[in-house]
Amino acid sequence: MRKKISKLWKKGLNTEPEFNEETNTEIIELKKQDISADYDQNLATFKSLFSVPDNIDVKVREFTITTLNRRGFIIYLSSMVGLQIIMDSIMEPLLDNEHPAKNIPDIVSYPIASTKKNIGEITEFITGGNTALFVDGDDQCYLFETTQISGRSIEKSDNEVIVKGAKEAFNERVIDNIALIRKKIKNENLLVETQTISKRSRNNVFLVYQKDLVNEELLKTIKDKLSSLDVDSLIDLSILEQHLEERPRSLFPTLLYTERPDRASAYIEEGHIVLLMENSPASLILPATFWALFHSPEDHYLRTPYGNFIRFLRFLALFVAVFTSSIYIAITNFHVGMIPPDLLMAIAGTRERVPFPSIIEVLMMEIAFELIREAGLRVPSPIGPTIGIVGALILGQAAVQANIISPIVIIVIALSGLSSFIISDISMNFAIRITRFLFIFSAGFMGIYGVTALFIGGLYYVVSLKSFGTPYFAPMTPHSFSSKDLLIRHVPMVERFRPGYLKPKDMVKQRKES
Amino acid sequence: MKQQPGKLGIREFVAIAVLMVGAKATEDTPAILFSKVQNAAWMIPILSAVFFFIPLYLLIKTMSLYQGKDLFSVIKKLLGKYIGFIVCLVIFVISSFAVSFDTRTYTNIIRAFYFTTTPNLIIYTMLMLTCAYGAKKGLQHVGSVSYLIVFYSLVSLYIALGISTQKSNIHAMFPLWGPGYAELIKHSSMKLTIFAEFFILTMLIPYVKSNKVFRKGTWIAYVYICIQISAATLLFICMFDESLGGIAYPFHIAIRFISLGEYIPNVEIIFFIIWIITAFIRFSAFLYINALMFGRLFKIKDFEYLIPSLTTIYLMIGIIPESPMDVTLMLKPLIQNMAGPLFAFISIILWLVALVKGEFKHAKNKNSM
Repeated sequence: MRKKISKLWKKGLNTEPEFNEETNTEIIELKKQDISADYDQNLATFKSLFSVPDNIDVKVREFTITTLNRRGFIIYLSSMVGLQIIMDSIMEPLLDNEHPAKNIPDIVSYPIASTKKNIGEITEFITGGNTALFVDGDDQCYLFETTQISGRSIEKSDNEVIVKGAKEAFNERVIDNIALIRKKIKNENLLVETQTISKRSRNNVFLVYQKDLVNEELLKTIKDKLSSLDVDSLIDLSILEQHLEERPRSLFPTLLYTERPDRASAYIEEGHIVLLMENSPASLILPATFWALFHSPEDHYLRTPYGNFIRFLRFLALFVAVFTSSIYIAITNFHVGMIPPDLLMAIAGTRERVPFPSIIEVLMMEIAFELIREAGLRVPSPIGPTIGIVGALILGQAAVQANIISPIVIIVIALSGLSSFIISDISMNFAIRITRFLFIFSAGFMGIYGVTALFIGGLYYVVSLKSFGTPYFAPMTPHSFSSKDLLIRHVPMVERFRPGYLKPKDMVKQRKES
Repeated sequence: MKQQPGKLGIREFVAIAVLMVGAKATEDTPAILFSKVQNAAWMIPILSAVFFFIPLYLLIKTMSLYQGKDLFSVIKKLLGKYIGFIVCLVIFVISSFAVSFDTRTYTNIIRAFYFTTTPNLIIYTMLMLTCAYGAKKGLQHVGSVSYLIVFYSLVSLYIALGISTQKSNIHAMFPLWGPGYAELIKHSSMKLTIFAEFFILTMLIPYVKSNKVFRKGTWIAYVYICIQISAATLLFICMFDESLGGIAYPFHIAIRFISLGEYIPNVEIIFFIIWIITAFIRFSAFLYINALMFGRLFKIKDFEYLIPSLTTIYLMIGIIPESPMDVTLMLKPLIQNMAGPLFAFISIILWLVALVKGEFKHAKNKNSM
């Protein structure tokens, strides 16, 4: 009954018109076929598939293979291949070979090659930057992996800055990213699997994991989820992240997005699964818990007391960022008796000439702070510092002098704003900044009682979040066996276990010396 | 990606139990105890714990015959379909009224001490909304949140009690036996209700990891709570002495008295935060258990959907009494004097029936085979 009603309801609300795709069954059918042995037919097929000569970077070159005395052509995307490689290792042997040879692999010395017959598959390889060689009378096609895409080199990590420890970051070339992980984990059990996830642009996702650690069930869930995606194009890992999340509308992130290869490999070593994608300068670690999002790699690089010190700072910052503004509102509006008389006088004195209620004051300043922050991020870098100065001077000093904002509110906002920067994970950062506003409203509504009610409600919600079946606060609650790297960390010698919620094949990281 | 709802581990279970029962030290229970037996009030929790130990032990022993079955199924199995149903219904009704009046008490406290100008209904609605949301999320999550909170809650209670020792006088606890042994024992046996929640907690057995965890958790929480309530009551007696008789909610008066040094005279809000968090968790668990009872009683499988409507009903019952006095002096004693002894009686009856029916021998034979 309920289902029926909701179905009717949805039908009534759904105003999306129906779109009919223009038919291209011809091409789809063509792609399912194999290539023929006939040279001209193949040439025609691929020229039409790639719209040659309208498509300017598709190059087709016809020639005669001297040794075999047969015609052949190669087809490639000039923007995606290393032209020098094609010249040296493919074309030259084919044209100028003096030694007698019977088949292509003997002539072309290029190391990475494969043969394919299906037209669709060949098309996929060509669009991926391979060079395809067709020979007259041959019913298979030779594919050479000549991909050479220009991109950034490996650079310093910009968004997750640390003082002690490795500095390099992922870049847009997935080959580089894999190499960065491989160079940290020199083990044949490190698997890099690939899976095509979108239909039209054929974006690949690379799953990186340790075969002898990862939980098979988890791996299967993730693979199923990836193959269940039905999209035309998925150009970036951050969009894949939203597709994978269980609750994409939730305020809180449930997957860890990091640009640091050292972090990724540390998680692989624990039995997590890392996703990489071409064109995305980052990796996606799943499953992720609150702790993964809350920690920073530096916690472990620093000596234990220092690492714990910055953890405490971060925990404090989390609370300061979320609660300062709301507690200020709650105390000044509802629980005035709490403030020591002298301080109360001071606050009242500064607020004397301000015409707004304190919640309006705080909201104005919070919004102003968010504006400055966003503007500072978007302006071209030469003007960047100016914005900072303008923001701080004009909005802070002048607002106080104009009696719009009381100085104490500036302190409160500055403190909470500054603290929010300490949470380095960008999604968590957003979550905290947005929850801050919710807390401000609840404090304005019911003082401390409202804040507490929202806090407990929020805690219930956060605790119920799951990332691929892993509860958000695992292994703290529900408890599972781990090396207890939660609020505080221990010395590395004591952290001997992998997290139990992952159910890795091998729980023990370090055996005890006997 | 749907997972089976996880079961409660011992940490979460103990946390729920401690928050559910331990919160009694911070509401009107110490004052009610004091009004009956004056300065020996602190002994009542200990004595009642001793008295209630026997039925609880027997109940847990009986329950352990039926692995993974909750209280209501066991009652129905042992007492038959019809008598069992009536007994279960009585338990449910008592527990429902207890929730209503307890939440009302909390609302009264909040209104009397912290939000004097806010209408009762708004405070009450917010309390119930939050609790209903928590209960709707499921027991596992109530457990997780209580585990996250329990440590801070207890520490803040200790700090509050610790600071209040500065202003207290240990001589107030003498004469040691208060009105005399006979009175003490009489009232202790009537105040079994302090531990009545443990009887209700047996509803959760199917949601706890194993029977052993349940047994162990119950005893840990039981001993701990009996000490905590007793210690808190003793402290209040030492702090207020005779005037405790005229105080309804000693914990809240106490945190108004204390201060952190000269500079911060009023710290009650800090303790209020923790106290109200405890209250939210307590009633979330209560609501969940009541919905579970209702579901078992009328064979409703997805009882989680009942929580919002049950909450509304409790809210409506709780809002009926006109003044806080009606609740504390008339309605709550009604439940309190009835629930504990009745639950103890039911536990013993269950054990007796099991004994007569030969269930224990049965289980033994099964084990030996």
